[in-house]
Amino acid sequence: MKINRLSPELKVGIVVLIGFIILFYMSFKISKFGILSEKGYELQVYLENANGIDPKSPVLIAGVEIGRVKKVKLDNFKALVTLIIKEGVQIPSDSTIAIKTQGVLGDKYLEIIPGNDKKILAKGEMIKNVKAAPDFDEMFSEVSTAAKKFGNTIGEFQGLLGDKEKTSIKKSIENIQTITVEFKDIIKENKQSINSMITNADDTLKGLKKIVNDVEAGKGSLGMLVKDDRLYMDAKETMGALKSISKDIEEGKGLLGKLVKDDSLYNDAKDTVKNLKDLTDGIKKGDGTLGKLAKDESLYIETEKAMKKLQKGADGLSEMTPISILGTIFSFIF
Amino acid sequence: MDKDTAIKIVDLYKNFGSQNVLNGINLEIKHGEITVIIGKSGGGKSVLMKHLISLLKPDMGEIWIDGVDITKLKERELNEVRKKFGMLFQEAALFDSMNVIDNVAFPLREHTKLPEKEIIRLAEEKLKNVGLSGFGYKMPSELSGGMKKRVGLARALINDPDIILFDEPTSALDPIISLTILDLIKETQERFKKTYVIISHDILGMFRIAHKVAMLYNGKIIEYGTPENVKKSENEEVKEFLKATGIPGFVGGVL
Amino acid sequence: MINLFSLDRIYHPATSVLRQLGGMALMFFSSIFYAFRRPWKLNYIFKQMEFIGVKSLGVVLITGTFTGMVLAIQTYYGFRKFGAEGLVGATVALSMTRELGPVLTSLMVTGRAGSAIAAELGTMRVTEQIDALIVMALNPIKYLVTPRVIASFFMLPVLTIISDFVGIVGGWLVGVKLLGINEGAFINKMIKYVDLEDIYDGLIKSACFGIILSVVACYKGFYTAGGAEGVGRSTTESVVIASVSILVADYILTSLMF
Ligand SMILES: Nc1ncnc2c1ncn2[C@@H]1O[C@H](COP(=O)(O)OP(=O)(O)OP(=O)(O)O)[C@@H](O)[C@H]1O
Ligand SMILES: [Mg+2]
Repeated sequence: MKINRLSPELKVGIVVLIGFIILFYMSFKISKFGILSEKGYELQVYLENANGIDPKSPVLIAGVEIGRVKKVKLDNFKALVTLIIKEGVQIPSDSTIAIKTQGVLGDKYLEIIPGNDKKILAKGEMIKNVKAAPDFDEMFSEVSTAAKKFGNTIGEFQGLLGDKEKTSIKKSIENIQTITVEFKDIIKENKQSINSMITNADDTLKGLKKIVNDVEAGKGSLGMLVKDDRLYMDAKETMGALKSISKDIEEGKGLLGKLVKDDSLYNDAKDTVKNLKDLTDGIKKGDGTLGKLAKDESLYIETEKAMKKLQKGADGLSEMTPISILGTIFSFIF
Repeated sequence: MDKDTAIKIVDLYKNFGSQNVLNGINLEIKHGEITVIIGKSGGGKSVLMKHLISLLKPDMGEIWIDGVDITKLKERELNEVRKKFGMLFQEAALFDSMNVIDNVAFPLREHTKLPEKEIIRLAEEKLKNVGLSGFGYKMPSELSGGMKKRVGLARALINDPDIILFDEPTSALDPIISLTILDLIKETQERFKKTYVIISHDILGMFRIAHKVAMLYNGKIIEYGTPENVKKSENEEVKEFLKATGIPGFVGGVL
Repeated sequence: MINLFSLDRIYHPATSVLRQLGGMALMFFSSIFYAFRRPWKLNYIFKQMEFIGVKSLGVVLITGTFTGMVLAIQTYYGFRKFGAEGLVGATVALSMTRELGPVLTSLMVTGRAGSAIAAELGTMRVTEQIDALIVMALNPIKYLVTPRVIASFFMLPVLTIISDFVGIVGGWLVGVKLLGINEGAFINKMIKYVDLEDIYDGLIKSACFGIILSVVACYKGFYTAGGAEGVGRSTTESVVIASVSILVADYILTSLMF
């Protein structure tokens, strides 16, 4: 009777064995690719806002996973994040770390942008350079306040502009139009000279390149400046000063502050518009001068400078403090 | 307590809700005797028997077994007492999950360290005694009611307990097998001189093998004595009960 | 002040629930207590492991596979709207290991083995087989409840890991072979998003569910009254109570774990 039947022990044993095999297989599959099971070393970084960064959030360099977040804890009102980096991945000590977002799920991860330093971060060391991540909520609120302020300023301008000013602005625009047409003619007339201007610009660029190379190599005074710590300190000080200035402005202190808050702004603006009109009139008169200007190398450099300023302004937008937006707006107007 | 007394019941009361089943039972059962309890159906005989082995707890009263009041014992101490008992249930109560031979061998397997071969040999011998040799590997569900009863009997006898309780050992059996079982009970009792308590409606058969007969009526023992004495009892209820059997030689029976 | 003794005699649904809860807790603790006392009934445990574990294998395989397949289809059509079909594998694997593997396995075992336990013990009660054990000086908890609780505790995780696996395989079949999801994305995202803890937590949960279903079934069966009808009632109640308890416990355990 009992001969042809498997004993319960054997049957249970077989099933349990299958279970264990599956468990080991799945565990192996997962942990084989898991970072935490591999050998690695720890690094630390302070983040202003570790929102979305959890243990096991990936750490990437150039899109390749090289580690994971081990733990996140609060330290002195900052988030102290401990990373585990794969053994064998060397990270220059001047590398920058940034929080980034990925995929439809909006997963956050940490991206390390390697620096150039020869010194390599050792176990337990701190990544000092953190690229401030734009906090979207904050950014949007700042942009909206800035836009509001901008709107107010425009409104103020509108109120400021009487009929007389309006006609003059209209005139100015018309003038500019004619200038453009004339400018076209000028370009036509001076085709050759413009060509040579471009060649000159090319040379200038080459020179610039050389300068940059020199700077990089630490040659020349500029190079020294870049490598010099003092410059950094100075810059830092300047930044501090700037910060306090912008704060003052907001509080209505100082000349600029007064300008922002003061009625006299309107008057000045009025004058400016008038000056603008005068200027365009002048430009209109000085036909030859513009042609001359176009040929001049210094114009090119000036233009480039202006462009750079503009770019800085745009960069500044991403820094996004209301004051700096206001500043940017003013720098456009004036 | 008397040295001869195996079981002594003192003022035992048991109610199920508002129903008084046991109403002050007083009874002494002697060592080495067959005591048969009779009484009408639903009168509380099975309930009384379950009290003897503490399957049911009395509302009041004492049950002394070998000088210990088992109503005061804890479960672990009770188990020591229970090891002296064997019991045949009214419905046999075989374990459905085991075949016949495992059912019979079960008490030996659990309480002795006998080798498996010996256990099987003893179980098969007991099965042969109850006329069921060859049925060892059937499952209880494949047996008739009477066969189950006999397997239950074999199981109750297998480890030669000091006190054996039989709840209607011969009910559901044909007259011939009934006689075989009666002979088996008598024979084993005479051989080992153990204490047997038997509930039965088989008045004729039981009066042949009993040393003492007790009659349960209205929750009390109204008559107790040798079969001869009980046959001649003057008690009205006993008379009426025995008359109903219609057996010659019994009080009120046909002459 | 409420007299607890009079409270015990009030047969109100609330006190009855309390009594049953207490009874089940007591039954669990005594079954554990007897598990550590000699003699160990290893053959009883193996028999129950066979009954609860091995014999539930078929139903667990089928439910696991089809759950994984359905999950793959459902999530595929949802994720396709975002162009995130690659996440189907991860979703199937996470759902199976964390939730559906343990819960569905336990519910299936409750339906198959839990009901059988309640019916078997109930029948043993009404046919006095439990009394027969007691008469033989054997503890019915140790003989009947302990092996079943231990067997469920160990076999549920085994069944669950098998269910997890066949569920993932089912999801893979539907997702990769039928719906044409990129296999690399399917597998890699799965490996990326599923952690060892997901699997282990699921197994721990299923072990707890195993205890719940076996204790409820044993309790209901053990205290059956009222003949064959009572057995039927116990069986139904044990399945209902065990299933509900498993779902409630799942919520509690999940909120504790994750
Ligand atoms: N567990 C119980 N719960 C409630 N009432 C019970 C219980 N057991 C027995 N009774 C009641 O006790 C009474 C006696 O029952 P018992 O089984 O002792 O009768 P009996 O004398 O053995 O009858 P029979 O000869 O038919 O076996 C019956 O009326 C029955 O209804
Ligand atoms: Mg009876």
